[in-house]
Amino acid sequence: MKEIMDFANRFDARISLDTCSIVTKQGRYFLVSERLKPLIRKDFFYAGAYLGKVKNRIFFPSFILLSMIAKGKANKIVVDDKSAWLFIVGRDIFRRGIVKVTGLKRRGYYTLILNRHNECLGFGRILRNLDEAVDRNEVVVRNIADIGDFLRREKQTSRV
Amino acid sequence: MSGKEFFINRYRELGWTYREVELKPSIRINTVNAKPEEVLARLESQGVRLERIPFAENGFWVERSRFSIGATAEYLLGLYSIQETAAQIPATVFSDLADKRVLDACAAPGGKTVQLADLMSNSGAIMALDVDKRRLPALANQLERCRVKNAVVYHMDARDTSRLGISFDRVLLDVPCSGNYVTDRAWFGRRTLRDVERNAGVQRQILAEAVKVVKPEGEIVYSTCSLEPEENELNMDWAVKNLGVEIEGISCYGENGLTNVFGRELDDSIGKCRRIWPEKTQGFFVCKLRKKP
Repeated sequence: MKEIMDFANRFDARISLDTCSIVTKQGRYFLVSERLKPLIRKDFFYAGAYLGKVKNRIFFPSFILLSMIAKGKANKIVVDDKSAWLFIVGRDIFRRGIVKVTGLKRRGYYTLILNRHNECLGFGRILRNLDEAVDRNEVVVRNIADIGDFLRREKQTSRV
Repeated sequence: MSGKEFFINRYRELGWTYREVELKPSIRINTVNAKPEEVLARLESQGVRLERIPFAENGFWVERSRFSIGATAEYLLGLYSIQETAAQIPATVFSDLADKRVLDACAAPGGKTVQLADLMSNSGAIMALDVDKRRLPALANQLERCRVKNAVVYHMDARDTSRLGISFDRVLLDVPCSGNYVTDRAWFGRRTLRDVERNAGVQRQILAEAVKVVKPEGEIVYSTCSLEPEENELNMDWAVKNLGVEIEGISCYGENGLTNVFGRELDDSIGKCRRIWPEKTQGFFVCKLRKKP
């Protein structure tokens, strides 16, 4: 639970989660509804809304959690179509692709990356203070996780 | 008893003439995540040409696309799923799903689980089982991508469900089956009648277990992508005669179930099942059963 709150803090965001509605399994966190709770046994594989996992003391968020954070106040960058696609395939964000910045612009913070429909594509770390970066061809956000990960996972599981 | 000629002759005896079929890829919009018209507009602006499937609500055939329909931002955001046309039918056959407790007994890779969640607007609860542990990550991946919130997944054989001591309002049995030649080009060379009969036996065990866990007057939807009557009409006939269930009429694409199979007369109610011979879809069979009070 603390890992999730700490993670949200890195976006200068607050997220309210009912502790009683969170179940864990092997370092993975799931948010479950009251209707789902009676069906939860200790040997479940997946349940409710997956929030993320802790591995080697590092928290890896799910894309459901990122979307939840994106709904509230948080560091967000809206990017143009081309940058959105490049981000999904694992690329970083250039200054020239940014359409709008919300929240903190300081180097070192995490920021959510949204497309022009305000859908969360993933997140990254701000590499330069965004109000200082003037070179349009400069990388300003390092990609940490993007929804293209679903395709990479599909490729991995299809190899099994 | 195997080979292309053997099976084609069987189909002829059942009243259908074999033909080659090329399937169009199809998608289904996840309406919990997006409005269909918005998704269509977004895909069409990328040069994807879609055609509405007349018998599948929120289903569309992909007529043309310059890129893989499984590699768009809209797909990765869970706005739609890639789902074969006939496979979109079973989940829609239930009479009412909102806020119900639903068992998806053979769930991986999860296309129908996601569809159930969509039809339920993420209300109620779905228990999704699969016997093959290696297929569970793909199922979980689908649930996360489509932002499903009302499902719990277990590695479990559907034949063991009653051990949980849980009863369900609805049960989806998209049972493991022999498949068909449309989606498996090597099908005729790989399948024998013995395979079909073995699968039919497993399907009966799953059916019997489903009847144990469904509430009185609860609904079971049974489906296969097999053309073989042993896995379809004959199993339904056995269920009606042995499990305390009755078949309900459904309104969906397909023909009436066969009531005479190779000279054997079946219960009249088997005609209420739907048999889908390959044409616009792969081969398929779907039936709705209700447990007697």
